[in-house]
Amino acid sequence: MTLSLHPLVILLIFPGGLFLILAGLAYEYVDRKLVARFQNRIGPRWFQPLADLVKLLSKEEIVPQGVQRGLFYLLPLFALASALTAALYVPMVGLKPAYTFQGDLIVTIYLLSVLTLSMGLAGASTVDRFALVGATRTLTQLFSYEAPFMLALLGPAIAAQSWQIGNINEFAGQNLWMLVAQPIGFLVALVGLMGKLELPPFDAPEAETEIVAGALTEYSGRGLALFRLGKDIELVIGLTLVAAFYLGGLHSPFDFILKTLGLLLAVALMQTLFARLRIDQVVGLWWRIGTILAVIQLIAIIAGRYLGTLIF
Amino acid sequence: MNQEGTQDALLKQALDVIRPWVKEEHNPQPNRLDVVIGREDLLAVVEALKNARWGYLSAITGLDRPSTPPPESVENQEGTIEVLYHFCEKDKVLTLRVSVPYNDASLPSICNILPSATLFERELSEMFGISIIGTPDPSRLLLPDSWPSGVYPLRKSFSGFSEVTEAQK
Amino acid sequence: MSGERFVIPIGPQHPALKEPSHFEIFVDGEQVTGATLRLGYVHRGIEKGAEQRTWTQNLYLMERICGICSHVHALAFAQGVEALAGVQAPPRARAIRQVIAELERLHSHLLWLGVAAHEAGFDALFMYSWRDREVVMDLLELVSGNRVNYSANLLGGVKFDITAEQKVRILDGLNFIEERVHYYLGVVNTDETFLGRTRGVGLLSREEAERLGAVGPTARASGVTRDVRVDAPYAAYSEFPVKMVVSQQGDLQARFVVRLDECFESIRVIREILNNMPESELVVRMPRRIPAGEVVSRVEAPRGELFYFIVSGGGDKPERVKVRTPSLANWGTVLATAPGHKLADIPMLVAGIDPCFSCNDR
Repeated sequence: MTLSLHPLVILLIFPGGLFLILAGLAYEYVDRKLVARFQNRIGPRWFQPLADLVKLLSKEEIVPQGVQRGLFYLLPLFALASALTAALYVPMVGLKPAYTFQGDLIVTIYLLSVLTLSMGLAGASTVDRFALVGATRTLTQLFSYEAPFMLALLGPAIAAQSWQIGNINEFAGQNLWMLVAQPIGFLVALVGLMGKLELPPFDAPEAETEIVAGALTEYSGRGLALFRLGKDIELVIGLTLVAAFYLGGLHSPFDFILKTLGLLLAVALMQTLFARLRIDQVVGLWWRIGTILAVIQLIAIIAGRYLGTLIF
Repeated sequence: MNQEGTQDALLKQALDVIRPWVKEEHNPQPNRLDVVIGREDLLAVVEALKNARWGYLSAITGLDRPSTPPPESVENQEGTIEVLYHFCEKDKVLTLRVSVPYNDASLPSICNILPSATLFERELSEMFGISIIGTPDPSRLLLPDSWPSGVYPLRKSFSGFSEVTEAQK
Repeated sequence: MSGERFVIPIGPQHPALKEPSHFEIFVDGEQVTGATLRLGYVHRGIEKGAEQRTWTQNLYLMERICGICSHVHALAFAQGVEALAGVQAPPRARAIRQVIAELERLHSHLLWLGVAAHEAGFDALFMYSWRDREVVMDLLELVSGNRVNYSANLLGGVKFDITAEQKVRILDGLNFIEERVHYYLGVVNTDETFLGRTRGVGLLSREEAERLGAVGPTARASGVTRDVRVDAPYAAYSEFPVKMVVSQQGDLQARFVVRLDECFESIRVIREILNNMPESELVVRMPRRIPAGEVVSRVEAPRGELFYFIVSGGGDKPERVKVRTPSLANWGTVLATAPGHKLADIPMLVAGIDPCFSCNDR
């Protein structure tokens, strides 16, 4: 389905901007509620993330001493902006991506990384010990899962013979679900998504019991609200990408909701199953197992295509 | 009974190890042995007990024994503080009793022999005003940093701040 | 950042700490090179306060040194005073004291399991174990009327009895807890991510544990056979003994296993007592003035050996009450094993000794 709207509407209201923010909050609610139920708790009510956002925006922003003021104010904006921009290239709500061009897969992944980088920089530019350790961990984790995650997203791209997310989405809709055709890739992509979003067990960068809140320790009020919003939107976009690639593409709003929420259920389940991994265990896991699995999957795809051209 | 035999045997074993330095000994309860030693022999006794592998240091207690009971004189310059080192082995408790006078309140640290004593010594020195020579960490353990120095809460002469500051005026 | 000495302060306010204390961890990257400790944030001067209160008032004061192990504090104090007065509590009272003490051990170990899991980032285990702990809290409330600070002890006996109906409810609750502790033991021993955080971490050899004066489950997890309930039986432990639970592994996982196995022992001995409760009165008369003397009273708190030294001058107030709590004795092990570990292991190491800062500071 395509929607022809004025670019400004796309940018600010639907499917970007306002709608995206609300979607982010809704997904955060579902995630928190699912995790709570798995832990035998009750969990928050539906408007909790919205209430948190409003509360944070209305609180005083405390600028700590010794911080770079310009960076301090700008980095949350960068984070939110990059997340919002990345949404323009993915099939949000099952509609065709608002903008599409050759190679927009790489751009989208890069934009998502800008968000993580902003958080790392935000932590690194203060004098707070906890933020510095958190920033180090954020960036270390970024180096670990980025390669396997990209490789896992590359698999469907190779199968679809295109670098455009729109085309890959079309391809996925017309063929066998990649979940079945490239199961290893799916696994790496799903777990990589959890690493990207810093969800447990990969939440070492913001380990509450060790370094308070990691890179974002010094943030409060508006800055914290924007960072959190950026993370929520990243959740939606990440789920959309993985669902579009591996779960047979997103072609209608109903499709979108079903598949992304299904993925979210799997993600929430994995969150509760494991203890937090130490940062060195995260790096070891990704560079040893994650990368090898992703490479195996790629080799399998390439070999498969080669054999396919030989046979047919 | 056999049990009583082994009970006394443990205490007797401890006594034999430290006998050269024992000044007095008491047996206040069947499972306890109190031994008075001099301050200068403290390290030797603790070393002997450690080498014989008898017991572990369970606690260090301070007992304030002023010569005139307060509140007659707040600035009490006479009196002794008795420091007790409790060693436990099974159900036996061996207590080494060392007395130091107020005007020379110092003791050698046993941390070189038993590193676990550091927290006990810190508490003893800040509560009773005994300076422990050679202790690895002489900083305060429990009292806040803003606590006035020279005021030792567990001495009998301390009975709350208002009286102390009044007397000091 | 190589070679740079960095100080990470943990506390006095920190999400990892349930009570205030101050650690300074010296790190080089993620590697810890040293640690120091500052206590005293909840120092209430209880030892001094005890000298100005009567013996009975002190019983209530000692209970409030700690919330998690309040019964054993009161028990140690009451036993010491009874020894000074030359009085022994009647058999039924001693049995009830032991039942409450073991129930307290159960709730304390379950609480600790949840807190340690939370430090490891394993929130699901934290939520489940605390949910199950509610069963023990309900049992304690059933018997004493309070979830915390049961106030079971009187000088000379206990305050309340355990009726037949309460006994049935307790036995039911224990069946449930036993099943759950089996499940948690399985999780602790087989969950891969959890093992990654606990196996081989905080290794304390037997010689080190003895040299550093460790007590309680921390020492027993390193093979040191110290348990006051077995070495110097008090309350009704000579009639209803417990087995000492020891592990030779010496690491954090061993501490988990030792504490969970102790839960089984506690459950077993509570069942035994409830089924064989001696009949007698609940309290004997105690004089108001306690004869002069000094006494040492030792009990096994959930965290280790609790040491009370009580001096009486013959009056109605004590001369001196010295309390040495198990957490104080175990700190040395943390400070000694911290260097060489990663920063992320520090909360786990601290949680491994089951610290109770209220006990430390008194």
